[in-house]
Amino acid sequence: MKGIVFNLLEEVVGRHYGDSVWDDLLDAAELSGAYTSLGSYPDSDMSKLVGAASSALSLPPADVLRWFGRQAMPLLAERYSAFFAPHTSTRSFLTSLNSIIHPEVHKLYAGAHCPHFHFDDAPDGALLIGYNSPRRLCDLAHGFIEGAADHYRENIRLDHPHCMAHGDRHCVIRMTAA
Amino acid sequence: MTREEPPEIAKLRRRLERERIARQEAEAIAERGLRDLYQRKKQLKLLEKVATIANSSRSVRDVLQSTLTEICGFMDWPVGHALLLDQDSAEPALRSAAIWHAADPDRIAGFQRATEDSAFPSGVGLPGEVMASAKPHWFFNAPEEGNFPRRRPALACGIKAGFAFPVLVGEDVAAVLEFFAYSTIEQDEALLGLMSQIGVQLGRVIERRRAEERLIHDASHDALTDLPNRSLFLDRLGLAIARRKLNRGVHFAVLFIDLDRFKVVNDSLGHLAGDRMIVEVAERLTAALHQEELSAMSGTDGLLARIGGDEFAILLTDIGDPSDAVRFSHRVQESLRRPFTIDGQEIHTSASIGISLSTTPYAYAEDVLRDADLAMYRAKTLGKSRTEMFHREMHRSAMTRLTLEADLRRAMVNGEFLLHYQPIVSLESLEVVGFEALVRWRRPDGSMVYPGDFIGIVEDTGLIVALGFWILREACMATRRWQREFPRETPLTISVNISPRQFAEPDLVAQVRRIIAETGIDPQTVRLEITESVTIGDADREVSMLSQLKDLGIRLSIDDFGTGYSSLSYLHRLPLDVLKIDRSFVSAMDKSAESFQIVNTIMNLARNLGMHVVAEGAEVAGQIEQLQSLGCDYGQGYFFSKPMDPADVVKLLKGPTHWAGV
Repeated sequence: MKGIVFNLLEEVVGRHYGDSVWDDLLDAAELSGAYTSLGSYPDSDMSKLVGAASSALSLPPADVLRWFGRQAMPLLAERYSAFFAPHTSTRSFLTSLNSIIHPEVHKLYAGAHCPHFHFDDAPDGALLIGYNSPRRLCDLAHGFIEGAADHYRENIRLDHPHCMAHGDRHCVIRMTAA
Repeated sequence: MTREEPPEIAKLRRRLERERIARQEAEAIAERGLRDLYQRKKQLKLLEKVATIANSSRSVRDVLQSTLTEICGFMDWPVGHALLLDQDSAEPALRSAAIWHAADPDRIAGFQRATEDSAFPSGVGLPGEVMASAKPHWFFNAPEEGNFPRRRPALACGIKAGFAFPVLVGEDVAAVLEFFAYSTIEQDEALLGLMSQIGVQLGRVIERRRAEERLIHDASHDALTDLPNRSLFLDRLGLAIARRKLNRGVHFAVLFIDLDRFKVVNDSLGHLAGDRMIVEVAERLTAALHQEELSAMSGTDGLLARIGGDEFAILLTDIGDPSDAVRFSHRVQESLRRPFTIDGQEIHTSASIGISLSTTPYAYAEDVLRDADLAMYRAKTLGKSRTEMFHREMHRSAMTRLTLEADLRRAMVNGEFLLHYQPIVSLESLEVVGFEALVRWRRPDGSMVYPGDFIGIVEDTGLIVALGFWILREACMATRRWQREFPRETPLTISVNISPRQFAEPDLVAQVRRIIAETGIDPQTVRLEITESVTIGDADREVSMLSQLKDLGIRLSIDDFGTGYSSLSYLHRLPLDVLKIDRSFVSAMDKSAESFQIVNTIMNLARNLGMHVVAEGAEVAGQIEQLQSLGCDYGQGYFFSKPMDPADVVKLLKGPTHWAGV
């Protein structure tokens, strides 16, 4: 996993709970915590940190990830505003992921394993977002989507008709206007 | 409700914050570096691919097609299209080469049609914009682009952004590649720079291909007139023969056309003028070939080629009747009748035309052309401005001529030529004053051949140049010997003919100077005889040439005077010493008052120009008396003596002069 994700988590935790809580999480997860955005780090580091936060906050790991994703979005919008500017809706922003944002990620990190999202329009107007990654971080994706909706000031509802956490082969996140 | 921190902690916190900011800046710099590096690598890869495509030996179309696909892939743009410059239309314009890359062909079908139906002159539309500036052009949103004639079909299929770049050959736009995307995309300077480089690469492909095409064209066309050359003509003729074999009903004819008097133009006006004349003749023949009547001849088709110097050939295919070929040859003559104006000089020409027909069962193209050539030669021999059909007898006489030509070349090497000398006599004292040298050819079998039977061929083959200088040298040597053996108050003179072909030799003066120096003869005793035909070309050159010869000390005489067309004012400019009246007037003067008058007039003219006069062809006593009464200086002819061999010359000079006729 790319260091940028750890940097984002550190910043989100720092903003909401103070720097010392991040230190505590690192201690609890028994990690050194030296992450640079350009480096790559074991995926297990992330699950350890989520685990530690889950214990500290008495929240299920899924909720930690959703919270993290949603809170990280403003930081991303600040740092990479160019990706947000051309869009006026969550839907159009999301559909640019595969074609624009992830190719950009590849420019920086030749070996990055970006998840591929599959987009489909449901007959009822909902957007179906297919997610398939061995990291199984559909909850993080869920949080990111909520964060994006906050950015575009939209009220949306998300549910998981299919989820790898429930034994499905891949996840489908369903986005509807609230 | 700020909780007071100990100063040490606050300091550390600030320091930590600084470190964090520094780290993020470093990361941002590294990110930019990585992104640039990634782009650079991708661009290099694209350039490499294009270079590979460009260097493959595929056609220009294939190269453009592959490049379009590569660029579309590189930029992730769905539509790419190539246009080529159409130079044949009145106004040069870019037209679709119908080379496309389309991610979804159905979607852009309408746009494709609209594009292929359009022409883009300089300044019109995206391609025209590029053509005018020879630089890439980009628009990011089709509805806002001012210069976009295809806006409607473009918007119909959702095209938003577009850009195009030129394929440059030198500084000229030879083609344009354009690309379109379905979203608005801002101009990318780095990308345009990259595309410019690709444009130059592709330009080299077009340039190389054009050079190849030119080579192929040049190999089959004449450089001066751009007409098909001999090899292409024979190729087409071969096809006509093959068609004739399949279908006995179709006829073809070959016209072999040779300009009359062209050598004189070339020799006297110079090669540049000759070239200009050839170009104009080619134009007139082309026009004659394209006259409507030809196509009216039941679908007859014609191919004009330049076969050699002043030789053209026309292949008429699908002629209905052999007489069509003859009729067409008259049209060729007609087209050449109007005088040509070359370098301000009016030149009249005509053509000798030989025709061979498919009624003779030919197997090889070369044979058809050869027979037409033979017929042309026959036409030329029979007098100019004629058309002759080939028949078998010509083949035999051509063989005779070829043999004669070979014999003459051998004669030159074996020294079979010799000189006879005809005395020139003072009409006042009846003393020999000099001789005219005349060439003879003694064949190995001992038979003697006179110039009338071989000088034509010697001239045609160019042997005349070498032979002419041999005659001059030989005559000067002999005369120098006689001058020593038989000294007299006024030394013997020697007259030698200079052919027009020799006269055209750039080093004529140097050659004459060398011969005079080497033989030791007094140049005052040498008379070079030129004919009037020498004097119809480049007047300045002739005057300068003759003056240079005069500067050597030698004398100049004009031969066969009265038979040519020299204008008197022109004659006056030439530094001539002696005028020789043509034998035709002299031999007729005792019977025809008119001839007598002509001789009288010429005498007066010569006197006024300060020239001496030699009357040629004086045969009987009466003529001598008439000439004497007119005050003619010298006579030459059978009345005095036939041309004689050197031994007889010595006898003549030894003994007292005694003329048979006196």
